[in-house]
Amino acid sequence: MRKLSKVSIYLCVIFICLLCLIPFLVLIILSLNSPQRVFYEGNMFIPDFYLKNFAEGWVKSNIGSAMINSAFITALALIIIVLLCSMAAYTIARFKYRFNTLIFAVFISCMMIPGIINTVPLYTLMIKLHAVNTLWGMALVCAALAIPQSTFVFHGFIKSLPRELEESAIIDGCSWFSSFWRIVFPLLKPAASAIIILNGFGIWNNYSQAVFFLQDSKKHNVPQALSVYFQQFAGAKWNLMAATAVIAIVPVILAFLLFQKNLIRGLTEGALKG
Amino acid sequence: MKEKRIGLHTFMAIPAFILYSIFFLYPLAKGIGMSLTDWDGITKAHFVGLDNFIQFFKDKRAVNDIRTTLIFAMGSAPLLNIVGLGYALLMDSKIKGKGIARMLIYLPAVISPLIMGYIWYLLLQPGRGFVFHFLDNLGRGAWFGNWTASYANSMLVLVLVNVWQYAGMTMVIYLAGLQAVPLELYEAARMDGATAPKRFRYVTLPLLIPSIRINVVTNIIGSLSVFDIIMSLTGGGPGYKTESLSIYIMRMCYGSKTGYSTAVALIMFFIILIPVLVSMRLTKAKPME
Repeated sequence: MRKLSKVSIYLCVIFICLLCLIPFLVLIILSLNSPQRVFYEGNMFIPDFYLKNFAEGWVKSNIGSAMINSAFITALALIIIVLLCSMAAYTIARFKYRFNTLIFAVFISCMMIPGIINTVPLYTLMIKLHAVNTLWGMALVCAALAIPQSTFVFHGFIKSLPRELEESAIIDGCSWFSSFWRIVFPLLKPAASAIIILNGFGIWNNYSQAVFFLQDSKKHNVPQALSVYFQQFAGAKWNLMAATAVIAIVPVILAFLLFQKNLIRGLTEGALKG
Repeated sequence: MKEKRIGLHTFMAIPAFILYSIFFLYPLAKGIGMSLTDWDGITKAHFVGLDNFIQFFKDKRAVNDIRTTLIFAMGSAPLLNIVGLGYALLMDSKIKGKGIARMLIYLPAVISPLIMGYIWYLLLQPGRGFVFHFLDNLGRGAWFGNWTASYANSMLVLVLVNVWQYAGMTMVIYLAGLQAVPLELYEAARMDGATAPKRFRYVTLPLLIPSIRINVVTNIIGSLSVFDIIMSLTGGGPGYKTESLSIYIMRMCYGSKTGYSTAVALIMFFIILIPVLVSMRLTKAKPME
């Protein structure tokens, strides 16, 4: 009886894993089909290994430059998030000034508001700031959206660090500000890596803000470039669509494989501490 | 250490607050003012009072979009939690290869939902997709109707694809919650003769409340503001039937109805706020007895 239930658990898990993998396998098959093969003659599971799709998709979709844009936006936003939020979390966690409490209360209560709610007025503001169709503008928008939660995670982490760490430095004549950078900031690595990984994927994949703020084809990020490229096909040229989608998701999958341990740890710690 | 010196540390929360104020709080506040005008984004705005809100509820497309958004959320949020919890319970047993399985199940969640929607479109397009041809080769092509023509079927596909993509995320959170349950509690319950379903109901479930709370709240917010997956999978079709409120806001903004679209955003804000507050209330941490 025990054995039987163990076998059924394995079967369930294998089935679920296949369910998660099949769309990707099909995508790879489709991306390797030649343009002439539309109706899956022969065995539909054996593709034509037509590699020109990737070259053509790469050139025509502009995905290369979109990846550079996405990388720039993601990197800049993450630097801003880590620097600003760790600083804010430090003073909030250590000093009970009234405006620290107020700022934290504002962050907590706005944490749940999704970005789409303020996107339209933000769009008019961005036009005034000449920040539409700029990578730095998009990075600032993405960073701002991540501030409440990141401050919250850093805050929880700093609270768990003993205050004595900095106090000995203060006695030696170090200011609180510089003791933060010298002593506390280097210790924030686990929290920072969780925040970087969690927000990194989200910013790289951002579409609902990119639709507004990155309309110029030279400034497209990856989802924007892909959606514009796919829209011109209106459902035709599947081989190219599939090949470009493969190109678009490969960096994300590689990053995921590289960071998955930290990602899952960060996700559970960051989430459950709330 | 009670030194009353005002140092730089006093102002360390200011940069984050300034950035947040400029790009979030200020537009949010300005949106309230804009929602009371007929502004088109270019010419001078006129104050119109609550006209935009009245217009919204008179617009059939808008009311349909509320319905679509709510149906999507009412399908997605519970299903994601049930499926995620089911996966977590499966993965909590002692099996080999758990790490790899967890990774594979989580994988879809890191990919852009827009791109994932396109990938599913290649699989599911009626009469042409991979799944249709697979069934057709088996002589069962007729099973695969034209789901894009039907509202109910389109919604079903959208919900299922969304659940497929994010079940791994809820699973990971539930798994962490399950692993935090002390084994002695199970043992004690077993000794008292509690059956497996009873152990789940009276031991596991109460201790999972923090995980349930975070999953329910994030899934409600996520599914009520759904955007990407609908854009790539149905584009809002048939007609405007599967258009969500977020997409409506974007299209109204592009249609030069700036004031109106901020009013829609405010309505959407409350549509999200109410279920979030209710579910937070319901899952409030109770002190352990």
